[in-house]
Order: sequence, then structure tokens, then C-alpha cells
Amino acid sequence: MINLAEPLKLASQSLLSNKLRTILTTMGVVIGVAAVITLVSMGEGAKSYVLNQISGWGVGANSITLQPGDGAGTSIPELTLTYGDMIAIREKVKKIQYLMPEIIGRGRLKYGAKEYTPGYTLGVSQDYPLAYKQKAAEGRFFSLAEDSGRKRVAVIGKTVARNLFGNFSPIGEKIKINGVGFIVIGILEEKGAMLTYDMDDMVLIPSSLAELTMGTKNIWEMMITTNDEKDVPEVMDEITKLLLARHRRIDFHMHTQAGLIDITNNILNALTGIVSAIAAISLLVGGIGIMNIMLVAVTERTREIGIRKAIGAKRRDIFLQFVMESILITLSGAVLGITIGTLASWGIMSALKLEAVIAYNAAAIACLVALLVGLFFGVYPAVRASKLDPVDALRFEV
Amino acid sequence: MSDKPVVTINNITKTYMMGKVEVKALQGISLTVNRGEFLSIMGPSGCGKSTMMHIIGCLDRPTTGHVLLDDVDIDELDDNSLAEIRNKKVGFVFQTFNLLPKLNAVENVELPLIYAGLKTEERRSRALELLAMVDLKERAFHRPAEMSGGQSQRVAIARALANNPSIIMADEPTGNLDSRSGAEIIHLFSELNKKGITLIMVTHDQDIANSSKRIVRLKDGLVVADEKVR
Repeated sequence: MINLAEPLKLASQSLLSNKLRTILTTMGVVIGVAAVITLVSMGEGAKSYVLNQISGWGVGANSITLQPGDGAGTSIPELTLTYGDMIAIREKVKKIQYLMPEIIGRGRLKYGAKEYTPGYTLGVSQDYPLAYKQKAAEGRFFSLAEDSGRKRVAVIGKTVARNLFGNFSPIGEKIKINGVGFIVIGILEEKGAMLTYDMDDMVLIPSSLAELTMGTKNIWEMMITTNDEKDVPEVMDEITKLLLARHRRIDFHMHTQAGLIDITNNILNALTGIVSAIAAISLLVGGIGIMNIMLVAVTERTREIGIRKAIGAKRRDIFLQFVMESILITLSGAVLGITIGTLASWGIMSALKLEAVIAYNAAAIACLVALLVGLFFGVYPAVRASKLDPVDALRFEV
Repeated sequence: MSDKPVVTINNITKTYMMGKVEVKALQGISLTVNRGEFLSIMGPSGCGKSTMMHIIGCLDRPTTGHVLLDDVDIDELDDNSLAEIRNKKVGFVFQTFNLLPKLNAVENVELPLIYAGLKTEERRSRALELLAMVDLKERAFHRPAEMSGGQSQRVAIARALANNPSIIMADEPTGNLDSRSGAEIIHLFSELNKKGITLIMVTHDQDIANSSKRIVRLKDGLVVADEKVR
């Protein structure tokens, strides 16, 4: 059995006796590992932020998004899904929890003499609060009966309320949207801006009234959720059959939120990976620095090697002594680098008001890689040391 | 005195290349050293004394010929086995002491014991015992830089004795010492020899050689004389 305690002791003694050199050599590894850890942690933090944002849109594994077009092209497709399709789905397809169409248009709002045109006027179903996790802050949302019964009721966002009514409550007030009279029955809770789009600058009306108000019954997108995650394929299948029967061609497509999360995850992972790989180059540079120093150390200590060999050190003893030095340098560099990297990512993420995610995996991998770098770049100098001829080594003068 | 041979060398030659020039350091030397002998090897510089030392001490191999150390033919051994022989059967004493400067006296003496695989406590007690034997126990925790030449050489001798070797090889052991320290070292060698330790010493100093029991003279890689001192 190989005794590692002695070479370990020897290696640490010689590293400690050359403190400045040891610290400088270690720096290469420290910087490399710290950079990788920081970037991976930041990447993980960014990922959890983006995924949280996506979940903030009210999506879950049981949701399906139905969109017009075959989904292959990148241009805006012809709006082939209609209000009628939605009613058909609602009546025929089972196991649906909610069904939320979005008929997007523009509406010029008029309240008395005041006029205001919000960012969007949307024809939606009573499931809007569920789908977007946004309730009415004041008043109420409209019901299925009101949508089906074509009741002229509207729910407005905070920005719209502020612009049209100022400080007093608009509940129960009569407004006109593109000349059609509506009664305001609710104000949506404030949601703020998301990806530069003011979520509070809109008016929601029953989907049944979209055609009358905005001259369109075409749906941009329909959000559907099933009662259970495992019903998703079955529901998609039924919707496909139904729409195919109605349209006689594939002019619609569906994707699930699980798929969207997967894609986002993949993109962010790839980005983190690429950036970390670039950072890892500094680890390589650090490794070369170690090899350089170890080669110098072997030359400087030729006489020591000769003495050790003369009194009975085997090749293996000399090899282990030197390779252990490289491994100690890289391992201590890795530990220090992980500490610095973790602190740095924590600092940066809290400055950005994002949650820091400690990359334990990356830390473990960094240790392993550092060990391999130490071995890889330490083996050659150590082999050189172990192969020195004792007679030549003893004669060597520095 | 036992007449069992410790070292038998049989017609050895050593040729090596110095750049493009072939140097014939040894041109056919035969010699037998018995247990308990105290032998001096003398000769002008370049006569092959050191090469012969290195070969007998298993630091180097002859180009041709055979070396038997304790009845083992070292030609047949690989590098690891040679290292083991150097560790267990040979003790080296050098002109320049060759102590490791960063280690103190007792740690230097412990070195061969480390490679022999002794445990920490055994090493320490054995090393202190050896330092006591060369009368240096009170300097055990001093580094070579804090010791005189004579003291350093005594540490080196303690190190050479660490694993109870069959033979001590000393290469100009007094070459870097003043005459008083040199005399002390030679006295120590004589004492060790009286205890039955076999010594081979390279020197070019006739007075020092005279304190040994046998003198072998080399010239141009050949033995030219082999005489008993007393």
C-alpha cells in the first residue's frame, strides 16, 4: 500500500517554506474557480428568476396554449381561431378546468368628455382571474352568464382607471368603448410592468362582445387548463379532432407550458455553460502556471532529489512528493475560489435584487477539475524529478 | 576480523560520454572488501575514485563487470531495488555533508528511516539515539546552518548509520573541514570500525588514509596498489 501521509507532509512543508510563491501560483486556480462559481451561480439565479416570471404568467404543467397557424412559420399567422371555436371547445371537450380566449383589439374609451385609448382592449372569458392570477381589486369580475348573455360589462386596469376617472371610484360608471356603452364593474389588481409591457393599461370585456365592439371575433391565443396534469394529452387530442372537423385543415397549433419551461431552461443552461467554459479557460492558464513553477522547483531542488535518492528514496517517493505539491496547490486554490466565488455571486445577486442560488454542483465539479488540473500539470514535472539520475543530481550546483 | 566479503567487484569498467568525448573512468577493477574492514581509496583527481564509490554504493551501474553486495549481484536489480539497497545496506557520507537545509538535525537523520517505512515515534527515538552516538544530542533541533562543519558531518554520519547498513561509503569526508574537525571525524570512524562497521573512504590525504587499515591506490581507472597500513 502506498503511504500518502509522508508525501503530503513533505509537500505541505515545502509549500509553506515558499509562501509568496505558493500564494501566487495558487491565484491562477483561485481566479478560475471563483469565476466559474460566480457565473454558474448567477446563471442559476437568472434561471430561477426567469422561470418564476414564467410561472407568474399563471402557467402550470396542466396548461395548454392554443394558437392559430400551424406553428411552423415565424410570421404572424392568419387568425383562424374564432369565438365560435371557443364555444365549441367549451361544450364538447371534457376535463377542462378553464378556457381563456384572448381577442385583442383597440378600444377608444369615452367617459363623459374624457377620452383615453388603453394599450389593449381584450375580449376574455370569466376565467381571466384564474388564468392570470389577477383578481378584481375593487368591484368584481364578470361571470360566465354575463359573457354568454352578452352583458355589456367591463373590467379596467389601474392605469386606465387613473387616466379616465382620476381618484374617484369608477365602479358602476357608464363608459363607451368605440361607441358601445359598457358599465364598469371592477378594477384589476395592480400587476405592474412585465417585460416593458404595462399590464395595468388595459380593458377587459366579455369575449362575446368583442366582435360588436372591436369588429373582430378572431382569437390570438387561448389558454386552457385541464383538471389534472395527466389529462393534457387527451384534451389536446380532443381539441385537435374537434377543430379539424370544424376547419378541415391544420390551421392551429398547441404547446404546453412544460414545453416552454423546458425550452427556457435549455437556453439558459446553454448560456451559463458557454460563459462558464470561457471562465474555465483561466483554470487552464492557472494549471500551466503550476506546471511552470513545478518545473522550476524540480530544477532548484535537483540536489535535494539526489540526496533523497542516495539515502533510499524510490522513484515513486520522489514522484509522490512533487505531484502532491501540485495537487495541494490546486485543491487549496479550489476551496478558496469557491469561497470567493460564492461570496461574489451572493453580493452581485443581492445588488441586482435577485435571489442568489449557490451552485453546489459547480463547486463539486470545480474541486474535481482542480484536482485533475493539478494531476495533469503536476505529473510531468514530478516524473522528471523522479527520473533524475542520483549521481548527476548530487553533482548539480544551483 | 571476519573474512566474509561484504563487497566483491569483479573486473568492472565504466565508460560515459562527456559531450562527444568518451571517458573511460574505470578500466577493469577487481576488489574484495571483507566485513569489518576500514579501507581508504586514494589517487589523483580523475582517477575514478568517485565513480568507483558510486558503483559500490549502488548509485550507479558499471558498464561491464559485476558487483556483489552482501552476496547480491546488483546488475540484476531494477532501480527500485537499488534504491532499497541504498536505503538499507549502504550509508553515504559526502564531502559537502548533503544535509537538507530546511530540516533540523533529527529530521535529517530520520530521512532514511522514512523511506524504510518506520513509524513516526520509532523514527524519532532511533534518530535521537543515533545523534547521541555521534555526541550531538543537544543539537538535535538545530538546522545545518546553525551547526559547524564538524557537527554537520556528524549528523550526516548519524544519518548514514540509520538503517544499520552493511557498509559506510565516505567520499572525502574531511575535505570541507578544518584539521581538528577532520581528526574528530576520523576518530569517530575508527570508533565505529571497532564496533564492527565496514567503512570505505575516498581521500587524497595520506595522513587520513593512514588512520584506516588498508589503502587501495587508483590511477587512470586501474588499481595500482593495495596495501595494509598496520
